[in-house]
Amino acid sequence: MRQAMYGLVLYVFLMLPPVANLAESVMTIHMHMQMPLFVIAGMLMTPFLKQQFPRFFAKWNSNGVPGIILFMIVVIYWMIPRTMDEALTIQAIEIFKFISLPFLAGVPLRDSWKKIRLVGKNIIFVTLSVICGFMAWLYIFSPEQLCNNYLIVEQITLGWAFLFLALSIMIYFVQQFFVDRSECE
Amino acid sequence: MIKNKHNNLAIIIVLLFGVALFYVGTDGFQAYTAETARTTKLIDEKPSFPKVTLEDSQERMYPFSEFEGKYVMLTFIYTSCTDVCLQLEVNLAEVYDQIPEEYIGEDIAFLSISFDPTRDTPEVLDKYRSYFESDGETWRMARIPNQEELDSLLDDFGVIVIPDGEGNFVHNSAFYLVDREGNLADVMDYTKIDEAAEKVTSILDAEATQRISSIPDTETGE
Repeated sequence: MRQAMYGLVLYVFLMLPPVANLAESVMTIHMHMQMPLFVIAGMLMTPFLKQQFPRFFAKWNSNGVPGIILFMIVVIYWMIPRTMDEALTIQAIEIFKFISLPFLAGVPLRDSWKKIRLVGKNIIFVTLSVICGFMAWLYIFSPEQLCNNYLIVEQITLGWAFLFLALSIMIYFVQQFFVDRSECE
Repeated sequence: MIKNKHNNLAIIIVLLFGVALFYVGTDGFQAYTAETARTTKLIDEKPSFPKVTLEDSQERMYPFSEFEGKYVMLTFIYTSCTDVCLQLEVNLAEVYDQIPEEYIGEDIAFLSISFDPTRDTPEVLDKYRSYFESDGETWRMARIPNQEELDSLLDDFGVIVIPDGEGNFVHNSAFYLVDREGNLADVMDYTKIDEAAEKVTSILDAEATQRISSIPDTETGE
């Protein structure tokens, strides 16, 4: 259960006001570091939660589909420019971010990933890549400032980071067709 | 089978949660940025213009109630701005030109308010005014010397100004229309010049025809 401890420590650390403020002061770090770290914190805590409530996960997420849909919904929600702004200006939205990313995205992702079939995984890779690509296009080429709390320069930087992410996911997705895993192991 | 039942139910619950989350989060799939959410809210709430004292490019000091009885087309600017303010004012000048002349000064006034009162003195504003051929009378440029009053106005009208530490500000821009009673009537996209001009003209036209039609009525009544 060391993993769960690390997850908990990471989770609490990320929520410390100075850490949260620092992470949120730069748009790219907010979106591409703080938010994913919250998801990772949730993922680290998953085995512990599954041990505590084994029946819940088996009963409500037996084939992994509900969990993965929940993960996608939460992740897409946090990509909307407005939610980033509101996380900074509205306390309740900030708290919702702290709860939703680890427990409604991280936990269901880890629980579902082993359960869903390969075709499901592929759908997720492609969808995520396409969404990130769209976000890249949106943030790079938007003529207007999308977030009131961030400069337009930061918005463009974030766009490029999204493009990088989209390409990375795509490369990972494509490589599995060419690399024979069994040889490596 | 029972297992699957719960699983399917979970899918439905998750999807419903998603729809609800996005519905609430975007004001019914309307506002995807905080800026659109802000304008929708402003138009709904119609805040009244707070009590502030303006100092214009001719060094005249007066409260905003100076404009009572007229519509006021507002923009928020600072003169050291190198990008969006210039465009904002160029566009405002075009709206000014498109409004029928008989309304200008009578039914509607134009006002550009600076949110950088330390640098935008009346002299600076006077120079800036001349770039856009504003006459300083029917289209005035003014600062609000009292910082507290300025902040209350920016706050009420949802203008977010972020200093970038190098003497510049990042801010959101729009045309604000304040009605004759001093309440915010509309917030318009400053990039859609024709649309804004048409909207303002149609409001003024409608009021003018109303006035004309009401005059014979009173005359026949006499």
